[in-house]
Order: sequence, then structure tokens, then C-alpha cells
Amino acid sequence: MESLVGWWDDFFWGSVVVVQVFLVSLVLMVLFGLLGSAAKLSGNKVLHTIANGYTVVFRGTPEILVLLLFYFGSAITLTAIAQFFDPTIKFIDIPPFWAGSIAIGLVVGSYATETFRGAFLGVDPGQIEAARALGISNFKTFIYIRIPAMWRLALPSFGNHMLSLIKDTALISVIGLQETMFVAEQATGTTGEPFVMYLTVGAIYLAFSSIITLTVIGFEKYGNKHLEVGK
Amino acid sequence: MNFDFALIMTSIPQLLEGIGLTFQLWFLSAILGLLLAIALMLMRISGKWFLYVPAMVYIYIFRGTPILVQIFIIYYGLPQVEFIRESFMWSILREPFGCGILALTLNTGAYVSEILRGGVLGVPKGLGEAAAALGISKVQRFIYITAPLAIRLSLPAYSNDVISLMKSTALVSTITLLDMMGIARIIVSETYAPYEIFISLMIIYLILTWTTQKIFALLERRMNRHTIQ
Amino acid sequence: MNLPNPTPETVISLQDVDKYFGDFQALKKINLSVAKGERIVICGPSGSGKSTLIRCINRLEQHNSGKIIVDGNELTDQVKDIDAVRREVGMVFQNFNLFPHLTIVNNLMLAPRLVRNTSTEEARKQAMELLERVRIPEQANKYPSQLSGGQQQRVAIARALCMNPAIMLFDEPTSALDPEMINEVLEVMTDLAKEGMTMICVTHEMGFARSVADTVVFMDAGEIVERNTPEEFFNHPQQQRTQNFLKQILSH
Repeated sequence: MESLVGWWDDFFWGSVVVVQVFLVSLVLMVLFGLLGSAAKLSGNKVLHTIANGYTVVFRGTPEILVLLLFYFGSAITLTAIAQFFDPTIKFIDIPPFWAGSIAIGLVVGSYATETFRGAFLGVDPGQIEAARALGISNFKTFIYIRIPAMWRLALPSFGNHMLSLIKDTALISVIGLQETMFVAEQATGTTGEPFVMYLTVGAIYLAFSSIITLTVIGFEKYGNKHLEVGK
Repeated sequence: MNFDFALIMTSIPQLLEGIGLTFQLWFLSAILGLLLAIALMLMRISGKWFLYVPAMVYIYIFRGTPILVQIFIIYYGLPQVEFIRESFMWSILREPFGCGILALTLNTGAYVSEILRGGVLGVPKGLGEAAAALGISKVQRFIYITAPLAIRLSLPAYSNDVISLMKSTALVSTITLLDMMGIARIIVSETYAPYEIFISLMIIYLILTWTTQKIFALLERRMNRHTIQ
Repeated sequence: MNLPNPTPETVISLQDVDKYFGDFQALKKINLSVAKGERIVICGPSGSGKSTLIRCINRLEQHNSGKIIVDGNELTDQVKDIDAVRREVGMVFQNFNLFPHLTIVNNLMLAPRLVRNTSTEEARKQAMELLERVRIPEQANKYPSQLSGGQQQRVAIARALCMNPAIMLFDEPTSALDPEMINEVLEVMTDLAKEGMTMICVTHEMGFARSVADTVVFMDAGEIVERNTPEEFFNHPQQQRTQNFLKQILSH
């Protein structure tokens, strides 16, 4: 364990990067998920086909492949565009932070698409009809009836998607993001203690997963209050 | 920049040279992982704390950490531990292939055990009671009533996990193995043609995913004959 | 109706049986003895402990104190061979609980084959005979989900009979059925009664109780409030609680 001395700082800042990537990709995941599910529910054939293609491709290929394609592909494209204007430029890339966040946001967003779609369709139509029968406007029905019912339905899967996101951040070290895996690699290089270093990374991720799990459990408890049996 | 179709044509056969390794990793760890999952699930539902607590801790750790970290701990970390170098495990762990199989197995075992447990818990309690009332023993009840129904209930989630395991095999390219992903990364580093190579590989993986889904859908339909009205 | 008379031999006896679910006492000092060939109907409001009582008899629930003796075997934690006792006691459930992944005939064959090591042909022959008896031999190769509720319940009765039980327990066998299917099940149960089967039925079918039961037991709040012959029970209920209950269910 003494080999860890001197690396705490680096692991801390690596963890901060993990949190940043997580938050950015979380926003993207929700965005892609909502867009995807809206497209699937829109009834528009073209949108539906695009959304279907999106979920099929991103759920059917390895995350690391999406990540590498996104990072190197965008770099090639950007460099080509830049060289068109200034031939002296050798190489431009999207920073690994953004390439990584967008890639895992896209991947997990494809799963979230199905979750959101399922939650939308899962709301008991009787509740919507009851609200309509009471003369409540469509908009208010959406806000006060559909949304509260929807997030309760989506929560368990949504929690799993958040766990996927946090764990997928580890992949981004492959394209050089300086998060905890990257720190462990460097620390191994100087200390020759890979076992301790990677166990530390594991412990950090376990802590993050636990925080997410506990948060989701808290929300579930709150959301299911109305189901508690009266005593 | 233009899309080089000739390169796709020449690279697909090269990529497919790695499919054997992908299949080996996938099938071996799927089978070993399933055995591990069954053992973990039985521990989990045993009702004995000295069995279910270790199983829960195991599942919690392996589901709570990234598989890439698990691969690195096994590949880079374990050889550092002396008693492992001296044990029979060393012949497996010396090779990246063995490390890959071990990591994938341990990881998928944790996920699948929870899927199986969900299946077992999903079998209506009354069916076990009906069998008990007929004087059928506990073990036989599990084999003839609970297990067949639990398998049917777990199949959809299990098929997702098999696909997710296939995708995870691509991560072994980070520990020098030349599966399809590993080969693709080498070709890209030589040709600087990420679109052509990676998209070709994507198509190969999509075909594998699609085929797996079809096979499981068929299996489900066969197994659920009894629910078709 | 011509029904055989019970014999004096006692096959089930409950003495001061208590059963708790956590803090809730589901059965309070239950005393009941059942003679061979006797037909008992247990009724009472929901939550009164009727189902718990019969589930204790084949130990699907374990009682906390008192004695339960079934066919000469006392039910205790030590009863290693609870399965042997259960073979003597058939049970029919409210929700049928047929095995959904097995065909009807296989539902009937499973226990004899596993427990008695009966040969396949023998088990199939016996199963078909029983299906004749409950009047649905033509459904033998269908799956439970393809049958109506009434048919499923008749299959469930046949399945319980496969083990040649000495005693049959019925736990609200008609409560989950559509009204038009209740009679077909009651007819099969009446047939059984005519054959001299020892039966304990939890049911609200008062017509069945009147015509078939030797004894009607009324339970409320975990206690046996009143027990009597059907004539006395329905015409001259002794207890206030019984009178209230009868007023409620007979007024509809």
C-alpha cells in the first residue's frame, strides 16, 4: 500500500474527470434517449427508421469500437477539413474528453431510447382517460399525470443506464483521457505495482456505483410511497 | 478524404481471421460463466448466510466495477502476486487468452446469476406448493417445476447478456490479443483509415448480434409453446 | 342425495393449534377432529384463518404450537417424511396451480412417476382414467393455458387424485371461477363425496355445504366459532357472529 503514497492526488483528479465525463454523458444520454424515443413514437416513418437504425447499431456493437470510430474518425475528418484551409496542419482531433463523452452518451442513449419508449407506453391509458374525462387539458395531463407515472416506470432501468455510463468511462482511457485508469497505468510504470494500482481503480468505481445505486434506491422509495400498505 | 471501398474488401478477410478468437472467448466464457452463475444463484437462494453473503458480495463487486478494470487487474495485477505464480493457475494466467477468459467468465457469471435468480423468483409460489402437496420432494420440485419455468422466464434477459458478453470480448484487444477488434486496431494504425475498417467491423458485430437474437427468439418460441393459446 | 356415512375412525386431529404470522395470530387454539369419510365445509369471512387451517394440515404452513396428527403421523419439525404425509393428503387450490409447462396428462403423471416410480404407461393409463372421471379426457394433450378455469380446476382435482390420497383438501376451489363454471367443479366434488372420500372444503358455496357436508365449521378471527350439522347450522345458528355472517352471504 505504501506504493500508493504520492499517487493519491492523481487518483483524486482522475476521479474528478470520471465524474465530469459521467455528468456530460448523462445529459447526452438523456437527450439521445428522449430524441430516440420521441422519433420511435412519432408515427413518422422516416424518423422511426432512423431511430431504429440508431438503436440497432449502437446496441449491437462493442462500446470500444464506437469509441475508437468516433475518436479516430472525427480526427481524420477534422484534419481533412482543416488541411483544406491550411495545408500545414498535420493533425486535429476532438479532445478525448468530448469524443469519449459523446460516444458513451450515444451508446447508452440507445438503451435509454427503449426505456423511455417503454415508460411512455407503460402508463395506464385509463389514467389518461380519467384525466380527460375530468376535463383536464392535454398539456396539464402530460405534466401532472403522464410525467409522474413515467419516471417511476423508467427509474429502475434508468439506474442501470447510469451504472453503465459510469463504468464505460473507464474505456475512455484507451484514447488517452487522463482518468483513473490512465493514472493507474502511469503509476504502474513508476512503481511496478499494477495489482495495487488497478485495485484502487476498482475501489473508486465501486464507490461511484454504490453512490448511484443508493441514489436510485432513494428515488424509488420516494416514488413508490403511494404503494405502501396502510397499517 | 474519400471512402476507400477497395480497402474494405481487402480488410474484411483480415478482420475475419480474428473471428475464431472472438468465438473462442465468447463461447468458452459463456459456458463457464453460466456454470458460475448457476452456482452463485444457488448460493444466493440457499437461505444460508454463509452462502448468500459471499455470493452477494461477489456479485456486488463484479457488477459494480468496469470489466476493463477487471481485465487489467487479472492481466497486469495477478502475476505480481506470488502464490498465484506458484499455483496451477499460473499456466492459465501467463497467457493473455487465459486472462481474457477468466475476466469475461467472472464478469458474466455475476450478471447472469442475477438474471437466473430473477427467473427463479418469478415462478409463481403456488406451483411449488402444488408440487409439495403432491409429496414431490424439494430437490425434484426444483428440477421439474422451478428450473424449467425459471429458464423460460430468464431467457430474454439472458440473450441480452450473451450479446453483451460478445461485445465485451472486444476489450481483450487491450491486453494484446488479436481478436477482430485487435486486428482492426492494427490495420487502422497502419492505414489511417478508421472509417473503412471500423465500420466494416461494426457490420460484422451487427451480424453476430442479429444472428444471436434470432437464435434466442427461436429458442424462446420453442420453449413457450405452452403459452400459445 | 345418497351419501355414505363417515366411519368412527379419526384420520385428522388438531389439538390446541396456534399459528402466527409475525405478530398476527392467524389460528387460535384450534381443535378439530375429522373422521374417515367425513365431509367438512369450513366457511367464514376472509382473513378468518380458514385457508391457513387447511394449509397446516399438509404443512404448507407450519403451526407454532399444539398438535396436528394426520393419518397417525404427528406433524412436527422432526417429521422427516413430510412428503409421505403429503402423498396421503391431496390438495386443490383456488388458483388451480397447474404446471404451465406440462400438458394436462403430464400434469397428472408427474407425481406418480417421481414419487411412486410408476412406469410411464401405468401413469398414463391412470391419468386417463382420472380425466374420464372429471369428464375431460379429450383435453389430455393440451396445455393448461388452453383450458377454461372450470376445466383447469377439474384437472387439478384429478391431479390430486393421482396419488390416491386418503384425504382431500379444497382451498376455495370455486372462488377464482366465472359463475357459469362453478357447477361443473362442484359436481366433480360431489362425485368424490359419494365415493366416500374424506374431504375438508373451504368454500362459500352454501348449496354445496347443505347437500354434501356432514359438518359445517364457521371460523372468525382465527377461531372456530361454531360447528354443527348443515341443517342446524343454517336453520338455527347458535352464535351471533354466525348469524351475522349467514345474513350477509345469504342476502345476496
